[in-house]
Amino acid sequence: MSDELKPDELLDKIDYGPRSGSRPDSASGNWMDTTASVQIRPGMYCYAAKAESVETLGLPNAREWNPLDKDWKLPDNWQEIIFQGLKDRLEKFRTFKVFMDICVRCGACADKCHFFLGTGDPKNMPVLRAELLRSVYRNDFSTAAKILGKIPGGKALAGARPMTIDVLKEWWYYFFQCTECRRCSVFCPYGIDTAEITIMAREIFNLLGLNIDWIATPVSNCFKTGNHLGIQPHAFKDMLEFFVEDIEDVTGVDCTPQFQKKGADILFITPSGDVFADPGTYTCEGYLILFKYLKDKYGLDVTWSTYASEGGNFGFFTSHETMKRLNAKMYAEAKRLGVKWILGGECGHMWRVLHQYMDTMNGPADFLEEPVNPITGTKFENARSTKMVHITEFTADLIKHGKLELDKSRNANRIMTFHDSCNPARGMGLLDEPRYIIENVCDNFYEMPPNTIREQTFCCGSGSGLNAGENMELRMAGALPRANAVKYVHEKFGVNTLGTICAIDRATLTTLCEYWVPDVEVYGIHELVGNALILPGEKKRTEDLRFEPLPGVEEEEDE
Amino acid sequence: MDLKQILKKNRESFIKKWFQAAIDTYPLQTAKVLGKDSNRFDNPIGAVTHESIEDVFDLIMENFSQETLEKALDPIIRIRAVQAFSASEAVSFVFALKQIGENFIDGSLIREFDKIVDQIALASFNKYMKCKQEIFLLKATESKRRIHRAFERAGLVAELKEEDLLGSKNS
Repeated sequence: MSDELKPDELLDKIDYGPRSGSRPDSASGNWMDTTASVQIRPGMYCYAAKAESVETLGLPNAREWNPLDKDWKLPDNWQEIIFQGLKDRLEKFRTFKVFMDICVRCGACADKCHFFLGTGDPKNMPVLRAELLRSVYRNDFSTAAKILGKIPGGKALAGARPMTIDVLKEWWYYFFQCTECRRCSVFCPYGIDTAEITIMAREIFNLLGLNIDWIATPVSNCFKTGNHLGIQPHAFKDMLEFFVEDIEDVTGVDCTPQFQKKGADILFITPSGDVFADPGTYTCEGYLILFKYLKDKYGLDVTWSTYASEGGNFGFFTSHETMKRLNAKMYAEAKRLGVKWILGGECGHMWRVLHQYMDTMNGPADFLEEPVNPITGTKFENARSTKMVHITEFTADLIKHGKLELDKSRNANRIMTFHDSCNPARGMGLLDEPRYIIENVCDNFYEMPPNTIREQTFCCGSGSGLNAGENMELRMAGALPRANAVKYVHEKFGVNTLGTICAIDRATLTTLCEYWVPDVEVYGIHELVGNALILPGEKKRTEDLRFEPLPGVEEEEDE
Repeated sequence: MDLKQILKKNRESFIKKWFQAAIDTYPLQTAKVLGKDSNRFDNPIGAVTHESIEDVFDLIMENFSQETLEKALDPIIRIRAVQAFSASEAVSFVFALKQIGENFIDGSLIREFDKIVDQIALASFNKYMKCKQEIFLLKATESKRRIHRAFERAGLVAELKEEDLLGSKNS
């Protein structure tokens, strides 16, 4: 009998999950034994937050540190800080508590994550990524797990493990390999929102000064200067005036916008990426053309603001408190200017913040009016409380009521497909309005396969602050499921244009296409609107907003 | 029977075993998912790996060149170049063919077959390096495209133009 295994030894042999890594030396058979497997690999992680950016926001433990170093320069009581941080959040957020307890490890989410499907790393299965945190929760908080822990081998049975520095490093590595896209939650029978678990993990990192710089510096810039890039008001204005010149070259019409106009009907806020980063800049020109058209035709009074010059909110990827601080600016400016309501540009996470958090965070915005389109009379009842309307809802409504004069032929060379950005699609259910606009400004539109669009859309692989350059391998791997579907419609229908309504998408999908599907270009929806919209008094257009010849024009010139 | 006839006759078995060998380079739990014959959009690595392996195999039964081999290998290597593989691990699946070949090919032809496998391996390595270079280039040019081009157009900065950097892609 002496060769028989004791109960606790037997339990240790249970395969709780994948072997870590592809090399035999790291394949211990027990996923919780992570000390050998966590190797923070260049190309997969983002650089550490700069001390000055952490300081700007008054967040703790600002210092220079490097994720590749052994010593992360943590405070001595870091374990206590994590314990208290978890405890506070378990008490404050009922969802978090439920999500920690309720998972039955059914595996429905396992193969739904773009990072798992692209990297092939089992710890990117949403269930296992969450389990990295749950295992510590079970060790420190779960009553059932505590009881189990008292019997031999019980800790392993409960899936519990103590918080060590290697566990923390593993958390950091994998919770920055989640874009909070929530595709996994669509498939979870319990509706566990793994994004929320990532959000909590990142809040805890910020208690220890463990943010990444691609998030921390934009947040700091936004807090100080008003937008992620830290562009000062005069430069913001210069850029828009430069777009006005370009638009005038193409259309012959002066579309000069208004800034900080008190008493305007509508305050327009868009992510600063539209103002400073190609190809979003062309989408921005589309907004300017639309507002000029509406002013001339219907007298609509829209104002921009150099103070509320950022629709995006990287605070959302830092902590609830930081998100709130950045979001508050928009409403402060709307109040100061005395506008009726806010119109928001084509952005991704800005709308998740708006739709799911704003109302209980900074709302209700009772000093604004319930949004009504003054041209069509449509009440945007979905925005009754936040008082903020998505520009594709607004434009789709105008088209529906025949208020826009459009020349589709100017986009005849665009063979379109549409990428549903995770946040507008899954975060607020905005699915049909962008498609309706595309169909009214373009002749050729082909959907990607149903399991890759709408609620089931695949993330661009670079959301939630992961659109840095140093983690390009991670981004391209995470982009594979999306690219795979784009490539399919490109090959089958000759699709050459990927439309999207998110500023991060416009930048990152361009890179995705360059690597995976080089013949496809990325366009914002209002760039297409800007091309198609017939401005009162415009000259005969021969070029689109990118100064490329309009379809048919080249042939005419050749003749 | 000559080598090509043997390959043709055993095509299905070859592809099945080679696909499994390629998928087995992933961690155990991942391989279980990727090895499933599921919808190609739910399992892109599995689908693309299978298609690419089929294309390469069909190619070596015909006349092939380094160029056509690289083209057929592109989809599978393009994926492996951004995953957690070292360079040798990324192309290691090619060498599994040698072992698979031993089950079907007589001693007199095995040397000829091994030479073909070597050519696939060399083409894979070429492709791997090209993909890695593309990644480095994307890193170098993305931030410039995202921010600088807009500033350049506005005449706010005058520096090396994006085209100057991208020019290296064609050389």
